[in-house]
Amino acid sequence: MSSWLDYTINGLIVGNVYALVAVGLALIFGVSRLINFAQGSIYLVGAYIGWVAVVQLHTPLPLTIIVVAASAAVVGLIIERFGLRPLQNSVRIAPLLATIGISFVLDQLVMLTFSPNPRALPSQLPDVRFQVGGGTIGPLDLLIAGVGITSALLLFVFLRYSKLGWAVRATAQDRDAAMQMGVDVNRVNQAVFGIAAALGGVSGMLVGMYYNQIDTAMSLQATLKGVVAEVVGGAGNVPGAVVGSLLLGLVESYGVAVFGTSYRNLFAFLLLVVVLVLRPNGLFASARQAPPEPLTGTFIAPSRPVRIPRWALLAATGIFAILPLFPVSFYVLQTFINAWLLGMLALSLTLVAGTIGQVSLGHAALLAIGAYTSALLSLNFSVPVGLAVIGGGLMSAALGTALISPSFRLRGHYVSIATLAIGEIVSLVILNWESVTRGPIGISGIPPLSLFGYELISPTSIYWFSFAVMIVLALLQGRLLGSHLGRSFRAIRDDDIAARAYGLSLNRYKSLAFIFGGFAAGVSGGIAAHLYSYINHETFNTQQSILALTVVILGGLGNVVGAIVGSVALVGLPELFRIAAEYRILIYGIVLLLLVRFRPQGLLGTM
Amino acid sequence: MSNIDRRSLVKGSLAAMMAGAAFSRAAFAQSSEPILLGVSGPLTGPNAQYGTQWKQGFDLALDEILGAGGINGRKLAYSFEDSQSDPRQSVAIAQKFVSDPRIVMELGDFSSPASMAASPIYQRGGLVQFGFTNSHPDFTKGGDFMWSTSVSQADEQPLLASYAVKRLGLKKLAVLHLNTDWGRTSRDYFTKAAKEYGAEIVVTEGYIAEERDFRSTLVRVRDANPDGLILISYYSDGALIARQARQVGLKQVICAASSVYSPKFLELGGEAVEDVHVGTRYFPEDPRPEVQKFIAGFRKKYNGLEPDAFNAYAYDAMNMAAAVVKIGGADRRAIRDAFTKVKDVPSVIFGTATFDVATRRVKGAMNAELVVRKGQFALWDGKPT
Repeated sequence: MSSWLDYTINGLIVGNVYALVAVGLALIFGVSRLINFAQGSIYLVGAYIGWVAVVQLHTPLPLTIIVVAASAAVVGLIIERFGLRPLQNSVRIAPLLATIGISFVLDQLVMLTFSPNPRALPSQLPDVRFQVGGGTIGPLDLLIAGVGITSALLLFVFLRYSKLGWAVRATAQDRDAAMQMGVDVNRVNQAVFGIAAALGGVSGMLVGMYYNQIDTAMSLQATLKGVVAEVVGGAGNVPGAVVGSLLLGLVESYGVAVFGTSYRNLFAFLLLVVVLVLRPNGLFASARQAPPEPLTGTFIAPSRPVRIPRWALLAATGIFAILPLFPVSFYVLQTFINAWLLGMLALSLTLVAGTIGQVSLGHAALLAIGAYTSALLSLNFSVPVGLAVIGGGLMSAALGTALISPSFRLRGHYVSIATLAIGEIVSLVILNWESVTRGPIGISGIPPLSLFGYELISPTSIYWFSFAVMIVLALLQGRLLGSHLGRSFRAIRDDDIAARAYGLSLNRYKSLAFIFGGFAAGVSGGIAAHLYSYINHETFNTQQSILALTVVILGGLGNVVGAIVGSVALVGLPELFRIAAEYRILIYGIVLLLLVRFRPQGLLGTM
Repeated sequence: MSNIDRRSLVKGSLAAMMAGAAFSRAAFAQSSEPILLGVSGPLTGPNAQYGTQWKQGFDLALDEILGAGGINGRKLAYSFEDSQSDPRQSVAIAQKFVSDPRIVMELGDFSSPASMAASPIYQRGGLVQFGFTNSHPDFTKGGDFMWSTSVSQADEQPLLASYAVKRLGLKKLAVLHLNTDWGRTSRDYFTKAAKEYGAEIVVTEGYIAEERDFRSTLVRVRDANPDGLILISYYSDGALIARQARQVGLKQVICAASSVYSPKFLELGGEAVEDVHVGTRYFPEDPRPEVQKFIAGFRKKYNGLEPDAFNAYAYDAMNMAAAVVKIGGADRRAIRDAFTKVKDVPSVIFGTATFDVATRRVKGAMNAELVVRKGQFALWDGKPT
């Protein structure tokens, strides 16, 4: 019994740590309706500034906190001024992509400045421990709890009772109306980003001290857990974020207690999905509260797509079809193979995210389902590879749609977060379901691609195969978009209430979109499995999902040609920047930011 | 680089590839250009730290090789391509190296998904993939161009089990392992050996690489009532577990795999890693000349920095590459064959390394039983802790 007390205390302690990030995220979401993917990077910057202050400058703790808070706030203000403010009149999804780009840039800057080696960040508090239950807690636990709760309370009071706080809430409710009432919206945004960044920086430093360890990989994890905690508490709800964090910590801790350590994150993400499905506005939303997402689909604003004449498309297809006949290196061909595989994934995502408005952040799960199905079919049941890949596509369509269906009733950001969680869940199930997936050992010796008994092993033949599959999928999708189905999809995206009023069954059409998209992604994963010959649970990770979304936004949401152009660009750019070695991801991030800045509707526009 | 690709590339068949290799041999014979090795590894992304450590080890070995006159009078150099340990990028890099006639063999990648996804390309392209950190049991099964000096876990884990069970006298063990292909394989070998030596495994817990918080895991460990904790971890997560174990009041003996052997383990773990036992392949006071040369050279080149296990793997790998290229010249197939001929290459990890031609791996890793005393790794004196 005493163990349960310990699990509870441990859950609260780690929930404490999540709360620091979640509060910052909640604040920004509350005002800008934006999941700030750069919050984790600010947390990282804060940790390293803290390291400089403590280890190099030997500042005492209060001064360290002030220095970190001030510098992180400056970073936040810079992000707001130069990264996000120019985008405020563009599509709502553009700032989301911008924060992803900013987080690339910040993470890379920290890595280049401080090297990727982890560093020790010594705690400046006395090393005394208090016995609680079977374990102990230290002064840092108390400080973290204090900072988390105090900041949440202060923010709550600030939002409720101060004039600027009212302005913040007014802006959150209706930006245009707030502006008409004379609220300086930019000043409000500045204040919010400054506060959130200061908090993010301090939390990175405190967590670094807590573990006596900081490294450049901590940013993405912090964002993921922070987002989960924030949404559980109710997006934009600051005190809710604290409670959500504690709850998340508890669920993880009890999950470990009952099932073991490797199931830990599974419970975190299951909690998220359950909360989203049962109480989409978070645990603490009152029933009367208006949904935080707008009723109509302003998440994806319409824009005029770039019309590409048919002859140009045919010419481009023709040129890429005969590309291997020219003296190009296998390296170039392989890069294009990667682009075509990513293209299939992007086609899938552009359909569900762009055409029907379900912005998925867990699309790599569909790749993984397709890849594992195809690999296992060909290895365990000796199914010919060509058929196995199709089997992978079908399984991905069926299983993917079934998994995502609970989130059909959600809107806007909530779909993204639910799919993010589903993606993580699939990856963790693959890791833990050892009897089928061989767990972390992965599946090796997957036979190479073959078609009608002929093995496709030269890059040239794989190039043609993947290109042909992608073109067929693209043509099918183009046909689909032109049919009454495509019109219904777009109607649902643009105004789901109007669509329903016209008698469209939302769930049925969303399922159809995911079935088609799931098939394309599953085929892509299947081909990749046979191409790589080895896959494990890390092959198709969150970064892939984020990359796919970036491609889709870059190309133009719902735009079939745009998805392919975006894939070529985002596979090609990092390869082109190889000459820049360690700097290439930095350059990639900057290019991404510039593209969002000047083409927020995507290169080819939303369809 | 790309213009060379284009000029020399005859596309299509394997036969054409061989023609490319032949062309490169002819070109090499005349030129005084360095002999180039391709390295595919992470310089950015979540594993970037390991790529950085590889570079340190490579550069030290290359300095020494150059100082000793190079390879038959020619310089040895490498071209490091950043893969982020991502299979999508490592396959592109593989095609790049295979079609670059200047590259005579390849080293890396770091993670199994990235390395083993590229293996078919190296195998078909006839370029040796020398994976010196690839402990996945299936890595060298990718073909006869896959060679590895990674310490086989079938070799290492029984040594650790012997240290924990026979030497330290632990009877009830809690095993915490990274839930990756490496950690999982290691755990299985360790468990098997420990049971043979008569110990009982009371609990095993696998954790993911991004995990930071182990308190709840440690409650499970405590409730299983072990007399020792076995860490199959890297240095950063190993240090975190040790710290949190001491914080929650677990006082059991901790015994860790060689992958924690790094000055960073001491820095990150602080007082908590005092008295932690580590089974390693070498130690600073090791009288073996290759170890002394490595450590002294490393400290000198990197301003007093202490080398760690990954530096040593990379240093050994580069020396092995030099030995192989000395025999095989600049011909890719001859280099593959040279792996079967190369004998007794001085090695920090193995003493002397010779490949077992059947498995394409090296057997017989050295063993040193260390313990952390006063914030330093020291040879264990046999005293209980």
